[in-house]
Amino acid sequence: MMRERFISGYDHFVLPFMVGMIFVLLWCIIGVIKIMVQLERKDRIKVYKSLVNPVIMGKNVRDWFGDCLFHVKLWRRNKVLGYMHSSIAFGWFMLIVIGHIETFLYIPERGGLFYYPIFFRYFMAVESTTLKGSLLFFLMDFFLLVVLSGIILAIIKRFRSKLMGMRRTTKLTLLDRVGLYSLWAIFPLRLIAEGFTAGVGGGSFLTVPVNWLFASILSKPENFTIAWWAYSIALGTFMIVLPYTRYMHIPAEFFLIPLKNAGIKVRRPRKGYALAELYSCPSCGVCLDACPMSVDKAGLKNTTVYYIRQVKRRNQPRALAIADKCLMCGKCSVLCPINISAIDLRLALRKQQPYNIEHDFSYLDKIPNEALTSAISVGGEKVLYYSGCMSSLTPMVSQSVQKVLTTAGIDFTLMDEQGTICCGRPLLLSGRTEEAKALIEKNEQIIKESGAPILLVSCAICYRIFKEDYDLNGVQVMHYTEYFEQLAAEGVIKLRKQEKLKYVYHDPCELGRGCGIYEAPRKALARVANLVPAAKERKESICCGGSLGSLTLTHEERGRITENSIRNLTANSPDRIVTACPLCMKTFSRQSEIKVVDFAQVIAENLVEKEKEE
Amino acid sequence: MKRNVLIIGGGPAGMEAARRIRDYGHTPILIEKESRLGGHLAKWHKLFPEGESTEELLTSLTADMEGINYFTDTNIVSINKLKNLYVAIFSNGISVQADAILFATGFSMFPAEKKEEYGYGIYNHVITNADLEHFFNTGKDPRIKEPKVIGFVHCVGSRDEKAGNRQCSKVCCATALKQACEMKELYPDATIYCFYMDLRMFGRKYEDLYLNAQRKYGILFVRGRVSEVSEDIDGRLVVKAEDTLVGKPIRITMDLLVLMAGMSPCVENPKIASMTGVHIGEDGFFMPRDLLYRSVESHSKGIFFAGAATGPKTIPETLNEARAAAMAIDHYFKQKA
Repeated sequence: MMRERFISGYDHFVLPFMVGMIFVLLWCIIGVIKIMVQLERKDRIKVYKSLVNPVIMGKNVRDWFGDCLFHVKLWRRNKVLGYMHSSIAFGWFMLIVIGHIETFLYIPERGGLFYYPIFFRYFMAVESTTLKGSLLFFLMDFFLLVVLSGIILAIIKRFRSKLMGMRRTTKLTLLDRVGLYSLWAIFPLRLIAEGFTAGVGGGSFLTVPVNWLFASILSKPENFTIAWWAYSIALGTFMIVLPYTRYMHIPAEFFLIPLKNAGIKVRRPRKGYALAELYSCPSCGVCLDACPMSVDKAGLKNTTVYYIRQVKRRNQPRALAIADKCLMCGKCSVLCPINISAIDLRLALRKQQPYNIEHDFSYLDKIPNEALTSAISVGGEKVLYYSGCMSSLTPMVSQSVQKVLTTAGIDFTLMDEQGTICCGRPLLLSGRTEEAKALIEKNEQIIKESGAPILLVSCAICYRIFKEDYDLNGVQVMHYTEYFEQLAAEGVIKLRKQEKLKYVYHDPCELGRGCGIYEAPRKALARVANLVPAAKERKESICCGGSLGSLTLTHEERGRITENSIRNLTANSPDRIVTACPLCMKTFSRQSEIKVVDFAQVIAENLVEKEKEE
Repeated sequence: MKRNVLIIGGGPAGMEAARRIRDYGHTPILIEKESRLGGHLAKWHKLFPEGESTEELLTSLTADMEGINYFTDTNIVSINKLKNLYVAIFSNGISVQADAILFATGFSMFPAEKKEEYGYGIYNHVITNADLEHFFNTGKDPRIKEPKVIGFVHCVGSRDEKAGNRQCSKVCCATALKQACEMKELYPDATIYCFYMDLRMFGRKYEDLYLNAQRKYGILFVRGRVSEVSEDIDGRLVVKAEDTLVGKPIRITMDLLVLMAGMSPCVENPKIASMTGVHIGEDGFFMPRDLLYRSVESHSKGIFFAGAATGPKTIPETLNEARAAAMAIDHYFKQKA
């Protein structure tokens, strides 16, 4: 049984904690209101609707536990890193929860006070032990131990980040450091404070021995208020600096998850959903190792974590410079523990920039659709093949695709034989949405009028925009890797396997991370040669360096990225590098000592002609 | 005292230097990776500015080879420095001690297939400048069939950062004009276009060549790069380019396209550099002590350069540099003695 030690249920030492707590709460409430107001009306309605949708709510609860508390994604990346984060997050969460349970069980009238569950052991004295009480005390000590183990790992990580699978960590700001040190201090101070009180307020396997230790070395162990003051000040400091540090991600992510699950997307560079994302960035620095630009030490400052920092500081020139440098390969987003939409954030900023070039799209109207579609508009044909602008620079690709189609006996028409109208992706990537629309509309019109059920695309860049931004009335868009694999699986084309050759497949950013196509090209290539893995591949594949995404990278900088990407691909000494994007192929060919070929070329080379087979 | 000079590369620079070094009283040892001396020059038919015969030039270069040890089909396996000597081992098993080494390694032709948009190796009627010279020499090339419209593309792999070659190859402008005029003589009815960025007619008589090409031969000059090439149903080439003087895109159907592949650094440069410690510039060519006063000396003692090893050069420049290098080597020996 327990009783209250002070009739007032109050002591001055709780003040630092209370000030911090109230400050953070107000900050968060204002922040939530601000973000909700900044959201577009239709987005806001979407959020409200999602909150009453049981499926989305279920997802929210799952993500709150999985992402905020257990850090499942970090576990997958590195066990120690995962343990470190989840021990602190979940352990702390449990300390707060059990603290509240204790308060409500033993002294429910104090339940409304913020500080009571936190400083429970100070205010209460044990009269007699019960099973329930000692179990709760045991749990409290247990989770304190869990948190402390996490803190120890965090301190080790500061000095030896490699142990946790991180080559580089973020450079912290001054306030980040204040936050960090106060966070480190909170739990050891709590142990000391509770250790002092354990003689009166009770304790378990951790706090009681600490109490004995103090009793044996200190002459007046009862004088413990100072320890509680220190503990409260550490908590207060942490919460006062919290909104200005990376630790803001703790409350922000809690709010970001329902927004994300409601399907809200970034529309403006620092308002609405973007603001929620900016504050949810924990500055963990996973993007530092992920970014292809970090092959140069100077490139590190162009990574997403620093982009977010500059946007938060409203340093517009720096933020814009970083936004323009980015290759838009999307690797940081995929590896990011909270999947910050790094590309969308930068695109939103690019879109805001004044654009002085007058595009003259009047020629689009002069191109008669019949000229482009003369062969198509009859309808009934099966495949419409769009080879794209890049194929004009790499004619081997479209030649090979046509060879495969002809051999397979597929009825097809080349959509851009008389000249390609750009798919619009380069304009879109540079933030020129309106200009891209003119091209998109013209192409949509041609595709729809063709009456073809399948649009075949041999460029990963075009493929992505056809998939994401075109309204094609049910015309099926297929990348040639998918289509050829399908033809091979169905036996429409027969391929011979070169047993002695080792190929490595490069996942183009737009195709892999962009559209999620990883398997089809691998399956098809495995039919013609032995596939060896790259050091990093699939969603961790490294951009070739040629990306259209970057507006300001120099040739030299791109060259070093390409070199690094080739090194990654040739880890298992393949005979050839195969890629499924003409731009990647062109970029690699410039620098690679190993032959670089396009997917279509490999398939075309290994076709078994039907007559020969018989 | 007789000294050994190892000359790497049996092109015009190496051959000329070998003779001069011998004349100074030293012993040249010349090695050439290919099966005959002459380098790229041996594959050419006629030379600019006045259509001089390559045959004649080669004859004068090889006329007097007495006292010159040379090995063809031979590569360098290793070079080691011993105090004041270099010990080189050749791929034919021979090893020599040399008091000085002359790098006359020349250049490598830019691989035109790297500019895939021009379709070399993909389309039937796309050839390079070297292919055309071969045709002039032998009269045989299945890709050239009574062409009516012919295009010359300047700067293929020159002044092209994306192709990894920033430098101007210096000789292609004049070569293109020379070849265009030769083609006009062979096919008087053909229409011939030259697609150029700038015409760099810097040498004596080069401007005359240019005026002749316009006035006498009626070659058409289009200022602008070819953007892409494709093949139509009849197998003719469809060439798209921009005429930047008019500011309009153009599109011409052709029967033959000649790519003026430029000069890239010799592909073996990095290997040789790592054996001897000589410097390689950002562009991949060897770096002399300085570009004005000591352009044939390297940063390593006893190692010298001549010809296109240090950047694109014309034939007379190469020959003069070979002579200068021979003189510098002799001077180096005299100082040492």
